[in-house]
Amino acid sequence: MAYSNKVIDHYNNPRNVGTLDKGSNDVGTGLVGAPECGDVMRLQIRVNPDTQVIEEAKFKTFGCGSAIASSSLATEWVKGKTVNEALTIKNTDIVKELSLPPVKIHCSVLAEDAIRAAIGDWKKKHAGSEAAAEPVQAKA
Amino acid sequence: MHPVVPNPETLSAVTCWSCLKEIDKAAHFCAHCTKLQPPADSDYFSFFGLQRRLNIDLKSLEQEFYRLSRKLHPDVYARATEHEQQWSTQKSSLLNDAYRTLRDPIARTEYLLELEGVKLEEQSRSATDEARAQGKEKQQVVPPDLLEEVFELNMQLEEMRMSKKLGERDEQVAKDLEAAKVRFEQTLAGSNTDLQKLWQEWDQVIAGGADAADPQRIAVRDKMVALLNRRSYVRNLVRDVNEALTADV
Repeated sequence: MAYSNKVIDHYNNPRNVGTLDKGSNDVGTGLVGAPECGDVMRLQIRVNPDTQVIEEAKFKTFGCGSAIASSSLATEWVKGKTVNEALTIKNTDIVKELSLPPVKIHCSVLAEDAIRAAIGDWKKKHAGSEAAAEPVQAKA
Repeated sequence: MHPVVPNPETLSAVTCWSCLKEIDKAAHFCAHCTKLQPPADSDYFSFFGLQRRLNIDLKSLEQEFYRLSRKLHPDVYARATEHEQQWSTQKSSLLNDAYRTLRDPIARTEYLLELEGVKLEEQSRSATDEARAQGKEKQQVVPPDLLEEVFELNMQLEEMRMSKKLGERDEQVAKDLEAAKVRFEQTLAGSNTDLQKLWQEWDQVIAGGADAADPQRIAVRDKMVALLNRRSYVRNLVRDVNEALTADV
């Protein structure tokens, strides 16, 4: 099955490959895997603590072209969004944008899982400090 | 020929298209007039007249494969009716697929899990949908420390490939990878042993007559799914490490 042009573009010029400081309080790290194919994906975000905006996103993926393209696209999409906005990204949006064939849908699922895991990790760090500083600010 | 255990699920009778006598639904040939029968709606196990058990006698599977190959071969039906020619082609191709799948332990297990209603991708996707709907994080199917290790090792592999491109060989990285390779090959061997134990459990549950909804049957099935999930990472890693280590600088 041929890759779409957008997949090839992201594969040849992946955006935001790299690492953020895992230990930093403002950084959330998501490490996820797709057992169907043995791919692993790490997605990291750096969140502005005041605005909750994702200011930086980095990824590193070991897997096929579609997995790399999906995570590359995911970093592009989350950047500039607030954490809550980023949580609305759906794997089907990625499928549409990259014209992924049915056999590669799991790559987009993996990318969504990675976003969710990174935000979850950040929230865990953040919730702790926030709860300590302002225990009243418990919004659902 | 090794005596084949009849599968009760396929034993309801039908009639032979040629002599109209009653025959076993899964039979390839009529017991009365020996005519070839149309392909039944069968899985690979019942194609070979086997129950859905995971311990298979490979020797008798092979013998049965050769016997059926000869008897179903399209050449035999060159002068038969058109539908018999068609059936022989269909059955021959089914026979090859079934044999290839059943003789390989992993492919056999994966195939059985598929028959048992396991759809890895679909389950993964619906788990993601659920996580999104509930605003929660998805539970990863493999343990986080394994993912961590797989990721780290992939980083090392990449480093090694890069330095190779530059015509260098980093001895420390090569040594680390060699050690990792040994460790993961052991893990792989260990998972094969574990899988065989689960086969044993599975076959006992089936021998006990458990139906598809039996909780024990489902429990063993899910244990096999978890094991194969872990295994696929380790298998890929061993393959990649081997590639990186054997390719010369």
